[in-house]
Amino acid sequence: MAVERLEKTLGKNKVLRGISFAAQPGEIFGLLGPNGAGKTTTLRIISTLLSPDSGTVEVLGFDTKKAPEEVRRRIGVVTADIGVYPRLSARENITYFAQLSDVTDEELRRRVDSVIERLDIGDFASQRAESLSSGQKQKVAIARAIVHDPQVLMFDEPTSNLDVLASKEVREFMVESKDHGRCVIFSTHVMHDAERLCDRITILHEGQVVASGPTAEVRGDKRELEDAFLELVGER
Amino acid sequence: MGAAWIVYRKEVIEILRDRRTLMAIGLAAIVTPVVLGVISQVATKTATQTYTIGYTGDIPQGLGELLSATSLKLIPVSDPAAAAKAQVDLGVTFRPGEIDDYYDPTRQSAQIADTRLQTVLGQYAAAQAAAALQSRGVDPGILTPFRVNSFPLSSPIKAASNAFLSFFLPYILITMILTGGFSAALDSTAGERERRTLEGLLLTPAPRSRVLLGKIAAVTTISLVAAVAAIGSMFVALSQIALPGPSGSTHISVSPVAIPVMVWVALLIAISFSSVTLALGTFAKTFRQGQAYVTPLYFITIFPASIILFIPDFNPSLAYYLIPILNAVLVLRDAIVHNTVDWLTLGVTTLSLVATGGLSWYAALRLFTREALLTRS
Repeated sequence: MAVERLEKTLGKNKVLRGISFAAQPGEIFGLLGPNGAGKTTTLRIISTLLSPDSGTVEVLGFDTKKAPEEVRRRIGVVTADIGVYPRLSARENITYFAQLSDVTDEELRRRVDSVIERLDIGDFASQRAESLSSGQKQKVAIARAIVHDPQVLMFDEPTSNLDVLASKEVREFMVESKDHGRCVIFSTHVMHDAERLCDRITILHEGQVVASGPTAEVRGDKRELEDAFLELVGER
Repeated sequence: MGAAWIVYRKEVIEILRDRRTLMAIGLAAIVTPVVLGVISQVATKTATQTYTIGYTGDIPQGLGELLSATSLKLIPVSDPAAAAKAQVDLGVTFRPGEIDDYYDPTRQSAQIADTRLQTVLGQYAAAQAAAALQSRGVDPGILTPFRVNSFPLSSPIKAASNAFLSFFLPYILITMILTGGFSAALDSTAGERERRTLEGLLLTPAPRSRVLLGKIAAVTTISLVAAVAAIGSMFVALSQIALPGPSGSTHISVSPVAIPVMVWVALLIAISFSSVTLALGTFAKTFRQGQAYVTPLYFITIFPASIILFIPDFNPSLAYYLIPILNAVLVLRDAIVHNTVDWLTLGVTTLSLVATGGLSWYAALRLFTREALLTRS
């Protein structure tokens, strides 16, 4: 996935000022920055929800502007806003998104069963989503994001509303996805998580890239990534 | 499977699991018979009710019996004008060769009693004049130089029931289509934003136009179900409830021509309304805000329907059939009252409602694809 000189203004606010980075299959790529740095806007442009003012994004060879539907067919997005349809069961939620993502009728049952088993959803698959806990809802949200077997997975602050156990499961899933050769984009402002999980990172500040490279390289001689981050964004 | 069908099926399942929508449909089925029952009772009571006349003076011979036979009861009072304000429905002073009639036009009972009194007095005066002429050896027939023979071309009872249906039925139809789909439309647009499911939906490769089409179809279906429930229960109620007519009580039935016209118009209104409410719902950030946007729509749309109520003989030119909702009401009225279909007005009405639905669909699609849908918090 390649992002080139991306610019975006929302209202009167210039959110992105020409950012560039690239992420590869089989790695967890961290997109870090304080709140308002432009992380979510970047992910929304990559996932074709927003259109860039200038610059380009290519996902698996498809340009987000020229072939948005092809891009959406190949990505899965998990956000902190765990939006699930409350009056549908967990299984119905997953099935709905699988169907909309062009999973064929022949494949549908196998794919849905597979993600339900992988994410340990079986015990509450028949329950309506309105009765599920936040952690269970997040599992459903992940299931629906991966049910069409996307090659690029994007996580936007996925653990911010979750307890310790649920957060751990999400992190484990990200590592597993990487091990399966997927390109995982992890947007967070939690430096601790980024340091543990990410192979490479890009730090955004006020819509610009202030550092980019392998995690250890960006940390440099600092004891923790957080120290390097604070220095880069001018807080220390 | 097409994206529109997938969205349609999911929306219908969700709507049918939503208590608010089920309550709206249930109410649609219950309210109409209840309203008709109340109307029937009030109408029957009004037709048979005895009204009171406070009087002073000597009652002309024979008039008392005539008034009593018309359910007008005479009560002696000291001041008829004062009594007519509250104590009795009318006040009357009988003087030789004159009758003073006091009534308060702001009281409906006074108006009904006065109409009855005027009718009775007219008949009494005619009978007195005839008797006086006869006692003088003159043929009373000179008072009626020609006789009027009436030949009603349709049943007066049927005409009265058609007049009742021509304003009641469109009113019920429009109200139920709007309220039936109201909650469903907001739930699938503003509700989707509020629950934060919209972003996930837009992240799928399904084209947004198809997604919107599925939503409109689902809301249209629910609107029609609510309308059918209301109209169906209305006809069941009408077959059971009798309304007082000119010659006794009667059951109201709708003409066969009106039924297909009603189904067609209901379908057009439902599609049109679904698009409008979805467009407004898409503009809203929350269900509550959506309610604030859609509620005025109810009053705007119900206003044209009310024109028929206030101007029963409203005879519009073809241009009026371009006005959405008013045209539906007019076409329905024509079908019910005249038992005919004017294909030209029906065609103009269809065009107008389809154009309204199309424009609303386009507006909803524009709103549904704008970036502010996601970025405006």
